[in-house]
Amino acid sequence: MSLAAGPGRGGGASAAQLPDELQLVVDKHVAYIQSLDTRRDELEYHLTEHLRISGIYWGLTALHLLGQPEALPREGLLDFVFSCLHENGGFGAAPGHDPHMLYTCSSVQILAMTDGFSDLEKRLPNGKMKIAKYIASLQQPNGTFAGDVWGETDSRFLFCGFLALSLLGMLPNQRPNEPPIIDLTAATDHIKACQNFDGAFGVAPGAESHSGQVYTCIGALTLAGELDSYLGEEGKDRLGAWLSERQLPSGGLNGRPEKLVDVCYSWWVMTSMAMIDRVHWIDQKKLTSFILQCQDPDHGGLADRPGDMVDVFHTCFGIAGLSLLRYPGLVEVDPAYCMPKPLVDNFLGRK
Amino acid sequence: MASHGVPRVSGAPDKSHQAREKERKQIEQYKDLERNVVEKIKAKDFSNTTLQLTGALLKQNPEYYTIWNYRRMILDDVFQKELDANKDAAQAEEGDAAAAEKAGLTLAQQEIVLLIKEDLQFLLPLLKQFPKCYWIWNHRLWLLTTATKHVPSHITLELWKGELGLVSKMLSLDSRNFHGWNYRRTTIQYLEDLSGKSMVEPEFEYTTKMIQSNLSNFSAWHNRGQLIPRLLTERQAGADERKKLLDDEFELITRALYTDPYDQSLWFYHQYLMSALDSHNPRGPSILASVSNGDRLEYLDREIDSIRDMLDGAEDCKYIYQALLDYSTRYLEVDAGNKKITTTEMKDWLDELRKIDPLREGRWNDLAGKLKL
Ligand SMILES: [Zn+2]
Repeated sequence: MSLAAGPGRGGGASAAQLPDELQLVVDKHVAYIQSLDTRRDELEYHLTEHLRISGIYWGLTALHLLGQPEALPREGLLDFVFSCLHENGGFGAAPGHDPHMLYTCSSVQILAMTDGFSDLEKRLPNGKMKIAKYIASLQQPNGTFAGDVWGETDSRFLFCGFLALSLLGMLPNQRPNEPPIIDLTAATDHIKACQNFDGAFGVAPGAESHSGQVYTCIGALTLAGELDSYLGEEGKDRLGAWLSERQLPSGGLNGRPEKLVDVCYSWWVMTSMAMIDRVHWIDQKKLTSFILQCQDPDHGGLADRPGDMVDVFHTCFGIAGLSLLRYPGLVEVDPAYCMPKPLVDNFLGRK
Repeated sequence: MASHGVPRVSGAPDKSHQAREKERKQIEQYKDLERNVVEKIKAKDFSNTTLQLTGALLKQNPEYYTIWNYRRMILDDVFQKELDANKDAAQAEEGDAAAAEKAGLTLAQQEIVLLIKEDLQFLLPLLKQFPKCYWIWNHRLWLLTTATKHVPSHITLELWKGELGLVSKMLSLDSRNFHGWNYRRTTIQYLEDLSGKSMVEPEFEYTTKMIQSNLSNFSAWHNRGQLIPRLLTERQAGADERKKLLDDEFELITRALYTDPYDQSLWFYHQYLMSALDSHNPRGPSILASVSNGDRLEYLDREIDSIRDMLDGAEDCKYIYQALLDYSTRYLEVDAGNKKITTTEMKDWLDELRKIDPLREGRWNDLAGKLKL
């Protein structure tokens, strides 16, 4: 069971031919995601194996938000996820691929969405703790996290570590009576050092603000419970202003000043705005229409921009974006976790 | 990864028999190569042949991170063997030994440098073809830091200098590539550590050059801003020199803004300079020796006037109204009883903003509430 992450097959219509009243073609998106596993006769399927487990996370999240969580068979998903698990508690992108933070995070998210943690314990006793220890082992002396043993650091990896630990119930602030397995303060100090004068964040201290990094840093501060105390209303206004300037006349959002609009950046920018209560600072109607125009109305799936090739990555973030914009009929998404909110609430015991 | 900017081709997804057959063969070859590499690594065959095979696979698929890891395992193994062998000069070819001695290296170090240079060379065409691939930049950084570990600094310094040349070339092709800018900052840091010499002055010059060739390059403005506080410290600048630099920067950005007030990048740099005077912004840079309310009023006064003048001929430029509202608010905070700024005028600016920039109507509504306009 595995979903290709590469570009989709061509569809017929160009954006200009879409009707004025755009609709989300739910059934086609479901069928598109289901079809991804049947494309082993395409070279692209094999060339994107290094993304397989994230591909499943993207597909499954989209299906959950579309209200069809059963559209992929649970047993098949779990078998695949466990086939990527290593002795050290880390997950690779596919069987035989090396363990890495990005794929460990996707795997934990899939386990959460498939209610798979009891299956994990059956296959690997004390599995949750082993995964948590793997993640904790990647924290560096300066608080940030490496992606794997080779040592590349990036605030993405820090956020992925936080997110997975939180779903495992292993963040220090979730278990105040146990010895902490990571240094939370060092990690959040590092994030704060990545912030720039414009209120936004870069990949490392001194790096230019970038909305992908804003999402990971704001998400990490949210999970650590420090967002409000750190930013305050003034900090939120400053960051919100920078984020809201990402919206261009097409309604789509870009990742940095003077860059092209993109469905994936639309999600990262908007969800960051949701975490600081500033989504109403952009034109939500126009953004909805932009995302809908990125659909392939004939064969399902969403692309980065109208008329481009679809893929499961943009399909996930496009649908998550629509959910955040309260598009009718979609399950509500949790901004920090990019997973169905009712499920995350239930999982973390939030009301 | 995810596809970006690939046009959706219309028409039936059915491929001809021939095309399908061709694709089937490509898949077979790719999978064979992959199997071959994996088997060799499992058998701990860290030979040159295996290294070449990883190269062939990575050329087809530079995103395959596990194969990059394999490549590093092989290189690590070779480096270790070289270091362990502790070859004495008698056994080596005479020419090699002489060359190593001349370069101030042991034979093992000489070999390591050669291998690292070869691998840096291997990466060049890949980097040009896939300038946004994280794993390639990452592998390059690993080669350089590994060299720094094993080889004396006069040699690594040369390697890092080569990196600075490369990254300058990359940035001249795409001046916004953020991998490139991050790599540049890392390279500079290593060069400074290894040579013990600051490069803040030439780097500052570099941003001047980049901005002159394209004003609308926020990455260059950003880096410039990052360098200023350090530059001033290293110049041991006193209060006057600091003020002079800030004034010069304001002059530079103001001239640019007069050329194109619709350029967002320029306004962000203007905001950056203004944040040096803003006590509410914890991430603002420290440029002046000290900032009194008198300094704040002086700069706010001057900048508000200058921006007001920009309106002439650019009445539809939203950034001007945003700046006027922002800086006027700060002015009122310092001096509430002034006669310079009137509520009526601020209300007018906000009305203009609502008209020109309806996308962000919610933000303007909140601002109206906050400023009680
Ligand atoms: Zn995208």
